[in-house]
Amino acid sequence: MEITTRTQQDVTIVALAGHLDSNTSPEAQAAIDAILAGGGRKVVIDFSALDYISSAGLRVLLGTAKRLNQERGALRLFGLNETVREVFEISGFATILSVVDTEANALEQLRER
Amino acid sequence: MRPGFRIGIGAETRWDGADRVGAKFAEFAEERGLPAAIRRGVSVALDELLANTIAYGGAARIVVDVTLHPNRLSVMLIDDGSPFDPFNQEAPPPDTALPVEERKIGGLGIHLIRKMMDDVRYERRADRNVVVLTKRL
Repeated sequence: MEITTRTQQDVTIVALAGHLDSNTSPEAQAAIDAILAGGGRKVVIDFSALDYISSAGLRVLLGTAKRLNQERGALRLFGLNETVREVFEISGFATILSVVDTEANALEQLRER
Repeated sequence: MRPGFRIGIGAETRWDGADRVGAKFAEFAEERGLPAAIRRGVSVALDELLANTIAYGGAARIVVDVTLHPNRLSVMLIDDGSPFDPFNQEAPPPDTALPVEERKIGGLGIHLIRKMMDDVRYERRADRNVVVLTKRL
């Protein structure tokens, strides 16, 4: 898996590429932990190059959402492919996490906060 | 063309083995022209099941057997770990309607498998765990 992180004002955008599964979720977790440890509270995850997510990846997202909620931060996701979308729908994540269509939508929503 | 394939995973090559199974399934699905929805469901289920077995089962060897029948696809996973029925655990299935704060972390893998497959079975046979997943075509 490839993880790229960049910031735009107070928003951190994390792009995940490849598979987010049991094998790679520790890497993603570490990248997100580093953002939160650095004080990042507005996080956007770019899924457009993510082929696949398993339950281990869902756990990373749920943990991140919980922590950001507690810290009055915010999380937005965009760029989900069909496979990821189906996993989100079956697990109920499509309704509990904030999924938007584009990066522009995500940034716009977080800037207003 | 064979109506399926079989792959063995040894103890040393576990996560690589899981990747190999995923890649082989993708190639097989492409070759046989399986519908995208079936490919997605089976890939997810196969990955979840393998991840479970690799992480918790203590198996020295895992064998994955995929067979395409005229009206269904079956995936059999055999491992020599301690007896474990992934579909008969005491933990209740996750409540997918709960908000973020109340959602529990865990129990999602088996839930995904059940939802994506048409039938799931487990049996302990000759000191092996045998799980069979079926997806209708």
